[in-house]
Amino acid sequence: MAIEIRNVEKTFGAFTALGGVSLDVRSGELLALLGPSGSGKTTLLRIIAGLDHADAGEVSFDGQDTRDRAARDRQVGFVFQHYALFRHMTVFDNVAFGLRVKRKAERPAEMDIRRRVGQLLDMVQLSHLATRYPSQLSGGQRQRVALARALAIEPKVLLLDEPFGALDAKVRKDLRKWLRHLHDDMNITSIFVTHDQEEALELADRVVVMNHGQIIQVGTPTEVYDTPADSFVFDFLGGVNRLNGIVDKGVARLDGHPVRVDGEVGPEGPALIYVRPHQVELGVAPADGVPEGKWSARVSMVHAAGPVARVELDLSGRALEAQLSRDRLSDLALQVGSWCTVDFRHARVFPARA
Amino acid sequence: MTAAVSTGGVKPAKRGRGFLAPTILPGFGTAFGFTLFYLCLIVLIPLGHMVLVSAGVGWTRFWAITLAPRVLHAFYISFGCAFVAALVNAVFGLIVAWVLVRYRFPGRRIIDAMVDLPFALPTSVAGIALTAIYAPNGWVGAFAKAAGFKIAFTPLGIIIALVFVGLPFIVRTVEPVLQDLDAEVEEAAASLGATRWQTFSKVLLPAILPALLTGIALAFARGVGEYGSVIFIAGNIPAVSEIVPLLIVARLEQYDYAGATIIATAMLGLSFLLLLAINFLQRWTRSRHAR
Repeated sequence: MAIEIRNVEKTFGAFTALGGVSLDVRSGELLALLGPSGSGKTTLLRIIAGLDHADAGEVSFDGQDTRDRAARDRQVGFVFQHYALFRHMTVFDNVAFGLRVKRKAERPAEMDIRRRVGQLLDMVQLSHLATRYPSQLSGGQRQRVALARALAIEPKVLLLDEPFGALDAKVRKDLRKWLRHLHDDMNITSIFVTHDQEEALELADRVVVMNHGQIIQVGTPTEVYDTPADSFVFDFLGGVNRLNGIVDKGVARLDGHPVRVDGEVGPEGPALIYVRPHQVELGVAPADGVPEGKWSARVSMVHAAGPVARVELDLSGRALEAQLSRDRLSDLALQVGSWCTVDFRHARVFPARA
Repeated sequence: MTAAVSTGGVKPAKRGRGFLAPTILPGFGTAFGFTLFYLCLIVLIPLGHMVLVSAGVGWTRFWAITLAPRVLHAFYISFGCAFVAALVNAVFGLIVAWVLVRYRFPGRRIIDAMVDLPFALPTSVAGIALTAIYAPNGWVGAFAKAAGFKIAFTPLGIIIALVFVGLPFIVRTVEPVLQDLDAEVEEAAASLGATRWQTFSKVLLPAILPALLTGIALAFARGVGEYGSVIFIAGNIPAVSEIVPLLIVARLEQYDYAGATIIATAMLGLSFLLLLAINFLQRWTRSRHAR
């Protein structure tokens, strides 16, 4: 099912949660709403579900306006961050709830309910826990019960509010992969909210970056990562070095040396130069001073656990982080206190805010 | 030296020392001893003495006194009115608790404080206030009189008095559990297609049922033992609106100590049985929750 969102506004008292948001969700895609807390992403999700009402604007499902449809009539599966399981019901009864509250005419026979719930529990790999209560399950298991419960009513849209937010890192990674496979199998239009850029970039077909109640950028993970619309998106999508430089006669300069820049340089004056850590290139500093056009920095810390080494540098008083392969690190023989040359493969320049 | 310390110093912790599991909290012996002593002094010895006295009277006399029509009727009024009042409070106390927890409105704190008034008020004050309103010449009583029935000086008046004193028990036991219930749970039920009524009956009510039962038990126990607020509004007409505690006082005033003690013992036994039953009911609902 396709969802069109047009100029949706929502305020809570003096706080503007959504300031005129428009978005097209394509049928069958897995969409991430990414943003810091307070950016309006959860509010947007709740408005789509019918759990909150927009002050203005409209949300339509396949061209039909949803204004007069209550949450219970929207056929929307909603998965809450803290699961919101019914704690006095077993896993089985939780999953069966949506089927059992259907109107008599639409309600499946008890045997069909049993079969359907059995299938769903198989799918989320929890058949062996059907008679347990939510309090006897781990966080990851509870989240899967919540998902099975939401899928039981065969929703047209699946909405997930920070689905992995309350889980530990290992479980989160596993569940993420599993959700992606599940989505590919079932092909339900799905929207999930997250503040974790890694999660959004890894899981989603398209990512919607939000801030202060506005949509800043919509695109595939590659698009938003490689060509961020502005400094906020650049900053939010993964680690970044922010260096104070200057734009002078159309050339961005850092400590007087010109910086190679992708895209526009922007207006003259003070500027922020954004460089991702893996775009920082380090080299061995020659004994007789620094070559022309390069910077030199002192190593202040080396983290060499994992496939990629992180090196923290002191670039004339600024902190700079670089990522490089372990092999490259041993080639350079960098140690705390040693000097090296620095260059930037790619950088973006945004005007410094006053 | 070190050898001496290691052999003579720390004793290995003994295992299986009865009911006392090893703990690092100090002072168990003293605190436990005090607890036993205190409970004996305050609760067990007076009640035990009462049972002993009534046992000395003999079974025939015991049954003769407790099964007298006037006494039986007083038991019926005491327990019946307390039960009805507890049920009335269960419904309306739940609504009050719901409003206090779920909505934010001006004057909420005042209403919140009002709930505690029956707790704080001397019960005789409540009795006088209620009687003044519900007596046939009072504000509400006059309407009832016009409609052809009486409130004060009937069991209905007793129920009203017991509803008054029992209200805070329901509200204060249900409130924290309602507060604990996430609004998300209701939203989850709604998004799964449940109506408001289904959400209430299948999701909310089962979750608060154990607390509600506790509140009912407390309100009921309070109602059974209530004296001060009831005696004014009840009118204490024998075999119509007479409660057991009043009967006991009446016997005492006639210097019939044995009679008073026997009725009191019967009341103790009945209350005990009922609270036991309610406790089992609570355990049963709680075990279904498997927290």
